[in-house]
Amino acid sequence: MKFTVAFSGLVLAAGLALPAHADMLDDVISSGTLRCAVVLDFPPMGMRDKDNKPAGFDVDYCNDLAKALGVKAEMVETTFPERIPALMSGKVDVGVASTSDTLERAKTVGMSVPYYAFEDAVVANEKSGIKTWEDMKGKTVGATAGTYEAIWLEGKVKEWGTGTFRPYQSQADVFLALSQGQIDATVATTEVANSNIKSGNFPGLVNAGKTPMVPDYVSLFTRRDEYGFINYMNLFINQQVRTGRYAELYHKWIGDGEPADLTIHGVYR
Amino acid sequence: MFNTSLGIDDLIFLAQGAGMTILVTAIAVAIGTVLGIAFGIFRYQAGPVLAAPVTFVLDLFRSIPLLIQLVLANAFIGTVLRLKMSGFTVACAVLSLYTAAYCAEIVRGGIQAVPSNTRRAARSLGMSWFQDMTHIVLPLATRIALPSWIGLALGVMKDSALVYVVQVTELLKSTQILITRLQEPLFLLLICGAFYFIISFPIARFGGYLEKRWSND
Amino acid sequence: MFHYTFHWNQAFQKLPQMLDGALVTVEIALASMVLGIVFAVLLTGARLSGWRTLSALATGWVEIARNTPALFQIYMAHFGLGSFGIHLSPFTSLLIGITFNNAGYLAENFRGALKAIPETQTRAGRSLGMTGVQAFGWIVLPQMLRISFLPMTNQMVWAVLMTSLGVTVGMNTDLYGVTQALNAISFRTFELFAIAAAIFYAITKIITFGARLLAARLFRY
Repeated sequence: MKFTVAFSGLVLAAGLALPAHADMLDDVISSGTLRCAVVLDFPPMGMRDKDNKPAGFDVDYCNDLAKALGVKAEMVETTFPERIPALMSGKVDVGVASTSDTLERAKTVGMSVPYYAFEDAVVANEKSGIKTWEDMKGKTVGATAGTYEAIWLEGKVKEWGTGTFRPYQSQADVFLALSQGQIDATVATTEVANSNIKSGNFPGLVNAGKTPMVPDYVSLFTRRDEYGFINYMNLFINQQVRTGRYAELYHKWIGDGEPADLTIHGVYR
Repeated sequence: MFNTSLGIDDLIFLAQGAGMTILVTAIAVAIGTVLGIAFGIFRYQAGPVLAAPVTFVLDLFRSIPLLIQLVLANAFIGTVLRLKMSGFTVACAVLSLYTAAYCAEIVRGGIQAVPSNTRRAARSLGMSWFQDMTHIVLPLATRIALPSWIGLALGVMKDSALVYVVQVTELLKSTQILITRLQEPLFLLLICGAFYFIISFPIARFGGYLEKRWSND
Repeated sequence: MFHYTFHWNQAFQKLPQMLDGALVTVEIALASMVLGIVFAVLLTGARLSGWRTLSALATGWVEIARNTPALFQIYMAHFGLGSFGIHLSPFTSLLIGITFNNAGYLAENFRGALKAIPETQTRAGRSLGMTGVQAFGWIVLPQMLRISFLPMTNQMVWAVLMTSLGVTVGMNTDLYGVTQALNAISFRTFELFAIAAAIFYAITKIITFGARLLAARLFRY
């Protein structure tokens, strides 16, 4: 029986006749296109400009990576919950999508060293009267399903034992629900919170201060077993900082001041 | 009523989404109908026992949410088999089989509705099975099946709103993208709904008209 | 043979959560079906009432329900109504969306069924002293529901399948919502959704089989 299974496995494998796998770095270079998963409802990291073309920090970062590889960049828009499935199903080569480097995700995908670090803030609807993160207790709150913020917020709601947590499928829906008053507050990165509030699209939203969350380090990600590519991305991130491109992009999309430090004191990566 | 910042470019963007909706629907309905006719005739001819495997598989497509069909197919092709296939291809493939599953039922119903005496008469006149099928069954069954088929085609168009899940930007997804930028949910959603309605309503009415006209004789 | 390691064990550990979700899915489908039938009867009555405005409104409902995507209707029930300051929980939005859709399709079925009921029956009822509403309720309605039994079963199956769309309005307690939430954390997409598919299949089979038993009991004569 075992033999038959193994044998039919062999026959099938031969039938599928997958060409010997060059690694992904080779594949990308030879195909001439780098397909990046980007999330475009997350300004200023990812958004659409007046012509509905992708723009933002992550989009520029993908373009830089493609330029370094000497290939063309192709943006594939995904929502937050879809970005890792998009990689796993071969729709993209790499995720440049402000992805927190959680241990849970690292079971599925390979994470580079951090390329950006966020601090998270509470964004509240004025009418809710929320002034600090602790005021969220007992309220209806929401975030994008599966994100770092959502996992933290859902955990808090469970810990408090009152209030409701609602996961939405995209960041856009979270802000839409928040501005309509369907939810009272969300947790978002400070950059995104400020950018959305400043845009004037959401009257009545306020930044209700920082959360006590651990800073949110975000990474580029690709398939778990593509060490060659992960190595390349690590060096690329290092070079972005070294050459000042990181600071340049920070000033272009986020604002004045110093971009976040990407090293973590007291530990190696 | 609406003070909108919706520009010409945005309308073109929406129109592209609408074009994608129509393209996916057209491909799925074309392939699905051909497959559906084949499966429908096979199921009728082979009888319930022989056709059981086909019946079972087709039934799956009608018993599992389309959203899950798309997610599963995408995961199976891309993640498990590691084949590079665009979201568009996956969407068309799944929607085609989905259409075929419903179409097979319609075809089978259509053939069954042709009186067996009529068909026996045809065969006793010396017609072959093929002649009987093309000259007797096809015209009569079409009359019964066409209105349902029109309903199916429109259903597929509406259900194609779900292909966003495999990264295909169709009409509803392009609407959501614009909502993200412009923050005018109600206005944009109404445009989107109106578009579906304008395409679907006249065709549905035409189907209803055919049904009424053909059911009287 | 595959470049993929299945983690069925990891997915099967979540089965209890998914079965809880299945229960919510069935609840929503049942509730939307009961409400859908009630509204469909009202819509049918409105279309027969001969009162222009009422009849036009009812026809509007039926045509919008039948000619726009269900996903659109559910999205509209949450974010569309939200624009007017009407805030509904994801559960209510989903229920309203599916009910709206069910009522539209069922009303159209009922209209077809009515054609099979001779008008002379209503007249006979009226001549026995019944009011128009009484005649409709006691004579036409029971027959209409009986003729529409099969379409109603189909609609029930669709209602179950439509619950999967609730995820777009923040629903996370139904079967699809639970599966998607698990997937968003562990990314065992294929395993999780394959299990969800099997549960959905079982639910729809139970419904069609149950309906067949019910029909055999109700309509034996």
